Amino acid sequence: MFDPSLIKKDFPIFSRNVNGKPLVYLDSGATSQKPGIVLDAEREYYEKHNANVHRGAHTLGDEATAMLALARSVVAKFVGGRESEIIFVRNTTEAINLVAYAWGLDNLRTGDVILSTEMEHHANLVPWQQVAERTGAKIELAKVTSGGLLDLEDYARKLKLKPKLVTMAHVSNALGTVNPVKEMTKMAHGVGAVVLIDGAQAVPHMRVNVTDLGCDFYAFSGHKMLGPMGIGVLWGKKEILTKMSPFLTGGGMINEVYPDHSTWTDLPDKFEAGTPNVAGAVGLMAAIEYLETLGMEQVGRHDREMVAYAISKLEKVDKVKLLGPVNAELRSGSVGFEYMGVHAHDVATVLDSEGVAIRSGHHCTMVLHKSLGLAASVRASFNVYTTTDDIDALISALDKVKKVFGK
Amino acid sequence: MDLYKEEVMDHYEHPRNVGEIESPNLQGRDSNASCGDMVQFQLAIENGIIKNAKWQGIGCAITTAAASKLSEWLVNKNIEDVKSKSEKELTKLAIGFEVNPGRLKCLTLPVRVVKRIWES
Repeated sequence: MFDPSLIKKDFPIFSRNVNGKPLVYLDSGATSQKPGIVLDAEREYYEKHNANVHRGAHTLGDEATAMLALARSVVAKFVGGRESEIIFVRNTTEAINLVAYAWGLDNLRTGDVILSTEMEHHANLVPWQQVAERTGAKIELAKVTSGGLLDLEDYARKLKLKPKLVTMAHVSNALGTVNPVKEMTKMAHGVGAVVLIDGAQAVPHMRVNVTDLGCDFYAFSGHKMLGPMGIGVLWGKKEILTKMSPFLTGGGMINEVYPDHSTWTDLPDKFEAGTPNVAGAVGLMAAIEYLETLGMEQVGRHDREMVAYAISKLEKVDKVKLLGPVNAELRSGSVGFEYMGVHAHDVATVLDSEGVAIRSGHHCTMVLHKSLGLAASVRASFNVYTTTDDIDALISALDKVKKVFGK
Repeated sequence: MDLYKEEVMDHYEHPRNVGEIESPNLQGRDSNASCGDMVQFQLAIENGIIKNAKWQGIGCAITTAAASKLSEWLVNKNIEDVKSKSEKELTKLAIGFEVNPGRLKCLTLPVRVVKRIWES
């Protein structure tokens, strides 16, 4: 049975207090907490197997290389891709930058259109602005409706501009909206675009199968899905990755090096210059095994229950104005809101004094906040260890905001 | 809670010197990237003395109270004296309350605006 209060016991951090109160962690959208087995896996790697990879000729080197390969195969299976298509990076941001620079600079020309959305995290907007500046390509953003959904009519209209690249968040980090990425990918392929999906907020909460989605690139981070910080994944279609130039160059990604030129090794190593984060990959593998033990279907169901519960409680709080779709079935991972008359940072500080950790600010979505007419918002976000008690603690702590600010 | 004590709440709820000066001698503005808060300061100066200080902007309770307190402190100060003080010294002297590290940018935004006014 899926019991988040028992799951919580697997996470050492929940044994601590914050400001004299038990930690209520509702900021998993920023980064999740880590179960003991992830921490143990990293520690065991360093204690028993640590050596540099791909250098063979000694036992530890072989073990470290085998562990990295095993982690890659576990990740590949988890998201439904091939091992050679799994590129280890630091995080989603780096994965998107890899596509922007290694694919974008070689394939975009003056006047080409990059189509994205108004709800993107800065990580999936700023790299494209950089590429647009260098290539002369233009950025178009599909609008967000007042109900917090992607405006699919506007998306269809902008696809008529025949974008070369279409990119969108699978799940919005600020609104919690789940975008219909499979359908959007099909539509984008219909006009010949390459499709990149930012899956940072999706992979922790739902079963993602890149082959089923049909996209060309899919990016996500380990640290939001119970894994360590500093390890992330870019999945890309082999046919496209093979044709691409490398992003970072140096050791580990070469075949032959001459004084004036070099040749590249095969996938995925071509995109993994330098010593990789083996411990991070091993930790990510442990996180995936933990999630698979819980069952991704149950993980997803629990997430939707938490979202629905939070919405049902928050909508009864005077002064709270919810952001994003009201239908919990259309969202995942978080509930964002405005507390009318009190700045989001002030709300966060008062909640923290009650041991409740939430995110405040513009959540790296300044374009979205501007289009919604917001300066800053508050976000409660969830993971497998979130309980209804945690959400009740948030609601009680909001009473204190009312007391302090008299609103 | 400690941070939102009476004095801070008083300045937040009744901020002093909000508005604009018709023809200011100096003015500057800045914003906090993490939340989009913005503060503008305008100063009227006579013979090297700040005769009037007005501010306006959007911000949280901390930024608002800090700007309000700073605007009161600036009046009748010698501009050379203000210029010679570091951001840290001004924060301590003019604002005088402390925040946890996560809120430091809220507290120092008004001081940063005034420090940069001489450069604008």
